[in-house]
Amino acid sequence: MRFAVDTGGTFTDLVLEDNRGRLHMFKAPTTPQDPVEGILAAIEAAAEALSTSIGELLAQGELFIHGTTHATNAIVTGNTARTAFLTTKGHPDILVLREGGRMEPFNFLVPFPKPYVPRALTFEVPERMGADGSVYEPLDEAGVIAIIEELKEKEVEAVAVSLLWSTVNPQHEIGVGKLLKKHLKGVPFTLSHVLNPILREYRRASSTCIDASLKPLMSRYIGGLQERLKAAGFGGRLLMLTSKGGVMDADELADAPIHSVGSGPSMAPIAGRHFSRADAKAATAIVADTGGTTYDVSLVRRGEIPMSPETWLGQRYRGHILGFPSVDVKSIGAGGGSIAWVDEGGLLHVGPQSAGAEPGPACYGRGGTRPTLTDASLVLGHIDPDYFLGGAMTLDPSQAEKAISRDVAEPLGLSLQEAASAILRLATENMVGAIEEITIHQGIDPRGAVLIGGGGAAGLNSVAIAKRLGCQGLVIPEVGAALSAAGAMMSDLHADYRSMFFTITDRFDFKGANAILKSLGDRCRAFIKGPGKGAVESATEFYVEARYKHQIWEIDLGLPINRFRSKKDVERARAAFDEVHEEVFAFRDPSSEVEFVGWRAVARCKLRKGRLGRLVREAIHETTLPKRREAYFAGKGLVNARVAAFDAMKAGAAMRGPAIIESPFTTVVIDPGAKAERTRSGSLFITL
Amino acid sequence: MARATTRRAKQKTKLDPITLAVLHKRFDAVTTKMANTLLRTGRSGVLNLARDFSTSVVTRECELLTGAESLPIHHLSGADLMARSMMDLHPNLKRGDAYLHNSPYHGCSHPADHTILVPVIDKRGEHQFTVWVKAHQADCGCSQPTTYMGHARDVYEEGALIFPPTKVQTNFEDNEDFINFCRMRIRVPEQWYGDYLAMIGAARIGEREVLAMGDEYGWETLHDFSKEWFDYSEKLMISAIRKLPTGEATTHSTHDPVPGTPDEGIPITAHVRIDNKKATIEVDLTDNPDAMPCGLNLSEACARTGAMIGVFNSIDDIVPTNAGSFRRVNVLIRDGSVAGGGKHPTSMSVATTNLADRVTNPVQRAFSKIQDGIGLAECGPIFPASMGVISGFDPRNDNEPFVNHLFLMVTGGAGAGKTDAWLTILHAGNAGMCFVDSIELDELHFPIYIKTRRLMPDTEGAGRTIGAPSGYCEYGPVGGGDLEVVYVSDGAVNASKGTLGGLNGAVCRNFLMREDGSLEDLPGCADIILKPGENVASYCTGGGGYGPPHERPVEKVREDVEEKWITRERAWKVYGVAIDDAGEVDMAKTRRRRKQLSGG
Repeated sequence: MRFAVDTGGTFTDLVLEDNRGRLHMFKAPTTPQDPVEGILAAIEAAAEALSTSIGELLAQGELFIHGTTHATNAIVTGNTARTAFLTTKGHPDILVLREGGRMEPFNFLVPFPKPYVPRALTFEVPERMGADGSVYEPLDEAGVIAIIEELKEKEVEAVAVSLLWSTVNPQHEIGVGKLLKKHLKGVPFTLSHVLNPILREYRRASSTCIDASLKPLMSRYIGGLQERLKAAGFGGRLLMLTSKGGVMDADELADAPIHSVGSGPSMAPIAGRHFSRADAKAATAIVADTGGTTYDVSLVRRGEIPMSPETWLGQRYRGHILGFPSVDVKSIGAGGGSIAWVDEGGLLHVGPQSAGAEPGPACYGRGGTRPTLTDASLVLGHIDPDYFLGGAMTLDPSQAEKAISRDVAEPLGLSLQEAASAILRLATENMVGAIEEITIHQGIDPRGAVLIGGGGAAGLNSVAIAKRLGCQGLVIPEVGAALSAAGAMMSDLHADYRSMFFTITDRFDFKGANAILKSLGDRCRAFIKGPGKGAVESATEFYVEARYKHQIWEIDLGLPINRFRSKKDVERARAAFDEVHEEVFAFRDPSSEVEFVGWRAVARCKLRKGRLGRLVREAIHETTLPKRREAYFAGKGLVNARVAAFDAMKAGAAMRGPAIIESPFTTVVIDPGAKAERTRSGSLFITL
Repeated sequence: MARATTRRAKQKTKLDPITLAVLHKRFDAVTTKMANTLLRTGRSGVLNLARDFSTSVVTRECELLTGAESLPIHHLSGADLMARSMMDLHPNLKRGDAYLHNSPYHGCSHPADHTILVPVIDKRGEHQFTVWVKAHQADCGCSQPTTYMGHARDVYEEGALIFPPTKVQTNFEDNEDFINFCRMRIRVPEQWYGDYLAMIGAARIGEREVLAMGDEYGWETLHDFSKEWFDYSEKLMISAIRKLPTGEATTHSTHDPVPGTPDEGIPITAHVRIDNKKATIEVDLTDNPDAMPCGLNLSEACARTGAMIGVFNSIDDIVPTNAGSFRRVNVLIRDGSVAGGGKHPTSMSVATTNLADRVTNPVQRAFSKIQDGIGLAECGPIFPASMGVISGFDPRNDNEPFVNHLFLMVTGGAGAGKTDAWLTILHAGNAGMCFVDSIELDELHFPIYIKTRRLMPDTEGAGRTIGAPSGYCEYGPVGGGDLEVVYVSDGAVNASKGTLGGLNGAVCRNFLMREDGSLEDLPGCADIILKPGENVASYCTGGGGYGPPHERPVEKVREDVEEKWITRERAWKVYGVAIDDAGEVDMAKTRRRRKQLSGG
């Protein structure tokens, strides 16, 4: 049995794959103070539905795959550790100067970004390596110990060490590491050559600082989760999602928590790709995940998971560079919990603030008094107050009405329903704007694409979004309400190893290159035999970063071989490089030598085989729904909309709007004029 | 009835808003794609490290459509002039043609900016658009190993190869005569050729993209789009100008003397007039001296662009920069003047930077004089030795020759009406768009050792909003060879000016550091050869401050002290903020001191 749990801003989603390959889905409110509590609550809901105990259920688990926004949230809210940056003497401003670059040349309203670690916590280590790895200035250990004394005085909680040329000769970083271990006990640190051995000091330093700043928090979190799962009866393996769209062992992630940054939304495109293939034959899929707090969108074109080679936290040149590639997902503050408010000038806004899980929308009756998108949908009759989350929670329409009347309808002089309708419409516009960023603003026309609507709140306005963008169609997968968790179920275990080693075609160093490939291959083999043991399928892929002589940006070139046997192999690699270069950049330069710079090996272990199973209709969720319900639609007013149960619709069965399709996890609103059809994979395919 | 029909017909040709938005972004994406190609494939550091290049699309009427993410000084004015001169000299454009243009006498910025123009020709052989790629070369054949010949008497002494629009490809094939010629006259020819290939590749990518758009949307739709986009941009420009008061201001800025200029340097005067009613802005540059026997004279493109940058820096930034918004800006130039009126064989070797900034800076400062809260103080002048051109032979690499323009340390941002400086603005015409060199990449590619690169405390242009502090760097040769360093530095005498009570920015200083650590002053404009063990030590200029320093928010001053940008002494003396040993503000003392500073 496998568990996939995604902790979102509002809900914690659990997808469970039973021993027969069938899927079960559960939700529990996220508990921000102690997210593990929410996880255990979701498992408890599963145990209840499957008529067993939480201990018995967990005891059957072999894998527990977990995704969390814990690391990202900590950075966004500034709750990371008080981190010091140790740099080479003479170069204290690496994080301030960055690599230069700016966008919007005429915009003088955006201030220059502050460094990730303040200058007040930056320290210059007396040492210097040369580009060839020779020691220009030896490491002054007494100087380091003096710095450590200052770190103690300043009550530093984590240390990032990134010295110039540590990628070529790591001795000084290793030396500093030893001293930190000895003299600054208990304070975690990150050494740049271990975490991310890449050229360019800013990127490496930025990676190192972000990583170190997350260590105290993430080791606490992961340690606590492991302990409590074990106490609850889990004896299997805990895997964590990474921003590269794969999974890692929890202990490994605790050692390099930077890989967790942005991991939450990275799974939606993997699931989205699956459903766009299964349910729609469109070349371009817009994958949207609507949670309570954020709206995450990504673009899957021709089946490719979108990767961003230069990931920035925040905007390019204005945020901080991660220094690792990651799945490319855009997030905005919009979702079921987005708060509607009217500003002093009389303009209506929805979000970016969210009521989150606590206190939640007004209609939850948990102390939330401000109106949200969920409240609006309730007032419009789109959500059934008695069947929210399959009846797990009863909503209070009077609270929603009160909040919307007071905060929106009265200030704007609208009727209650007009106000609720305006909230919905504005939320739709915000979400459309996010999708336009990744389509129209990149010169990609959304009109040919299909929209995959995932997340618990997707059903409220995805039909409206798809229609507004002119999409070909909308797919709501049956596990869509837990899209990321479903994606996690399909993800691979992976490990990525890099080494820097320079050689060039006219003086190709066979011995050196082969030694590097062998050591990378050995590490992959060890990974496959160790963490990858028991995988259904494993593979090692080799890559080399190559460029023409004097270029400085490399192209990632897949190597079909793991050893250079003869000149012919070098020529083949070179020819492959020419080809890729021409494909990407429209020209080749046969007269130039080719330089090989960075070497990389990826071990990928598939953890499951076969297609994803179908969702089970849980007996506990059986209920009778009314055939029709009064609901308000803009332009139509109050109509008697048809109601159907998502899981009771047969493959091929169609339903025309105005209609509402209910599941225990989500409500799908079919606007007048749209038509929903159940596909063979269980999804709803909606044409507009 | 008839009127209604006409209106409907008119509306029909109007593009729907989604198509308009998509096409706008598609054209922007074309330029971004070209830029990305050049960055990733260029061979010289000035391209692949510093990103000193631009890409843009021009209509068949030679109007600038878009230059997203380009360096302002490269493209605001000049794109039009260059495309026009290509069409004048080569009336019969064919698919597969490519033209090299670097002549400041035909609309190019300066001779180091090689520009590849590719006319986009449709299936029927008709010219629809022009794409171009402009890139600063590591070398362009000058008489000395630099692309900035500040002291050159004329174009002959300058020695750069000048190409009025010259056909370099026919039917997608190189003109080998041209390649052979350049190989004989440009230093490190393989590097030049690699950059040439990268530029051609980038331009061809742009061509491919625009052709694809033509197929997809039809050429007439694209031309309709251009028209509508220009009208839309003009509308935004009108409303931006209407937010400003009618008014005028005259400001001055002086370039340091170099050989060939009067001893007091080159004084530049700008008159700026805003007409709120007519919604126009005029920059009058006619009140300036005649062209001089040096390399600092401005090309027409750089004089116009320099003025326009000052304007666009000072208005609402949502206005797109293209031929539409330009309709509302008028730049007056006097024939024969140093500010854009020079004629062949006047040298314009350094036209994009030094004197161009001395045009932009007073223009943006003039706006601040017309209304507090808009415009900027002056950005720092360049080129200190920390941005010199280095050359020599690499002893680590079989004495292979090398030449490259460093972008090691330059700050220069000016205090703006509402925000502190963008630290790495580089210089006014660059707007911070270039990258700053990575220490590791420089040391890997060239036989140099960069011992220090740091920002200096207490050097900011003090103000309500502050100008960038000065930066320091120190480098020299490694591996046993010599290192030649050439630079043309402004700003050692004439600092960047603060505005409305803001203080001036730091001046630049350059030294030769002997093996024993002793320092020797270097002039503003120099060509030096460093022996093993010697270094250059270089302080770049900072930017001017905006508004009185004692109006800077107290909390910001406290943070500046905490972050070691300024000392407590400076916080007290200049900003009037008293900070105690614990780093906390003493409000009572601060109030008294500030009252005193404000003359109250």
